[in-house]
Amino acid sequence: MEYRAAFVVAMFASVIETAGKLFGVYLFYSSGFELGGWPWQEALLVLGFAQLVDAFFLLFFVPNLRRISEMVQDGTLDFVLLKPVDSQFWVSAQKLDPIGLPYLLLGAAVLGYAGWASGLGAGGWAWLAFAGAGAVFLVYALAFLLATTSIWFVKIFNVVHFLSSMIWSAQYPVQAYARPFRLFLTFVLPVYFMTTAPAELALGRAGGGAPWAMFLVGLGLFAFSRAFWRFALRFYTSASS
Amino acid sequence: MLLAKARTLLAVHFAYMMEYRAEIFFWILGGLVPFFFMAAWSEAARQGYTLYSPLEYARYFFAVFVARQLAIVWANWTFSDWVRTGKLSFYLLQPLDPMWRLLADHVGERGVRLPVLVVIGGVFAALFPGALVWPGWGALALGLAASTLAFLLSFFVAYSVGLLAFWLEDATEIFELWYVLVLFFSGMLAPLSLYPEAVQRVLLWTPFPHLVYLPAALWSGLEPADARGFAVLFVWTLVFFAVSRLLWRLGRGRYSAMGA
Repeated sequence: MEYRAAFVVAMFASVIETAGKLFGVYLFYSSGFELGGWPWQEALLVLGFAQLVDAFFLLFFVPNLRRISEMVQDGTLDFVLLKPVDSQFWVSAQKLDPIGLPYLLLGAAVLGYAGWASGLGAGGWAWLAFAGAGAVFLVYALAFLLATTSIWFVKIFNVVHFLSSMIWSAQYPVQAYARPFRLFLTFVLPVYFMTTAPAELALGRAGGGAPWAMFLVGLGLFAFSRAFWRFALRFYTSASS
Repeated sequence: MLLAKARTLLAVHFAYMMEYRAEIFFWILGGLVPFFFMAAWSEAARQGYTLYSPLEYARYFFAVFVARQLAIVWANWTFSDWVRTGKLSFYLLQPLDPMWRLLADHVGERGVRLPVLVVIGGVFAALFPGALVWPGWGALALGLAASTLAFLLSFFVAYSVGLLAFWLEDATEIFELWYVLVLFFSGMLAPLSLYPEAVQRVLLWTPFPHLVYLPAALWSGLEPADARGFAVLFVWTLVFFAVSRLLWRLGRGRYSAMGA
């Protein structure tokens, strides 16, 4: 607990952030508009998934992404590459930032409340957990993919900023957006698969089959991130060369 | 003499920033968030649920985007980094208050950002015909004045948080708190006029709505100029300028870099 003060501030920030996001949803529903035709309790489920993903982003991804770009800058990535373990696993599982914990708790609370209000059955809850894990996996693959660019670029800060704003746009069901945006958020940025698809799976609305694609997209991005990491390492000229 | 100093400083930092063009691109991409809110609100407007028309929302959120881009700051990161790594020692040797160096860094960066904003504006105008209209010189100038003040206020807040590095290990989260408040209360979620009355009344005394809503409402013609908004913004800017000077006075003495 080296950073106790930071943790207390993070708790405040997470409460304000959650309240603010709920307020954002409220602004829409108070005018009688339903986000993409979703009842409010189901829209909150999407918001809950966005918070879950965001919490993991703060808890694991950001500290490790920072670490990767630091290692590239000061050349300590050499030591990792010499180790007989998978380098991708090693660089992405080194650190944990407890600042993400209050966000995780609040995200779980929103998910729990929204699930209860939407009347999920046992099967729905199981899907919720499974799809939530799938969403986190997908965002990990995406984050790692972007972090790999730090082999060429130096500042990782911008990538973090980009990803967190993507998570921001994931807090509403994509159906709430006008059509071109909906297509963009499904096919160009995988925002649909991050939060809307898991919510549809939990609600048992996977009829059309589209939500299932989230697992394919997640696995695909993961495979691509591995290949890209190996490709990028070829351009990594270590500390002394 | 002073002018020559300022010119050199700006030119140097503009050159630094040119090095990071790729990052600035990512950064701007990350700043596209207001357009998602635009997409949701204009959809609501299309179905006839809310106060403004889809085009008015497009205009407003584009102005929000520009206002946010012009007020982005990172003085907190840079300064606390200088303290942690001891880089500050070098800057202390020079006869220039490090605050000016940071300010030049920020202003120079805006020079790199501006052309990109113009391009994004062009794309936006092509995608949403009729959304961008000329606000008139008066509104444009007033909006720019508001956004300049907003930038200065954000800068002094960020710099003050950065100065906390003299006392705290990690002040990132404190700035995060400020950032979150700005996100929700600056009018980025929705035009402030859609917020409940009571919330609006309280917010008008805080710096938050004037950081984004004030310039954006002026540029998009959503609301006429509001003298009180300027006054509140100006007072908060002075307050945080004073806070940063005070923290600098107090903190300087505590600084002991490696080997000092």
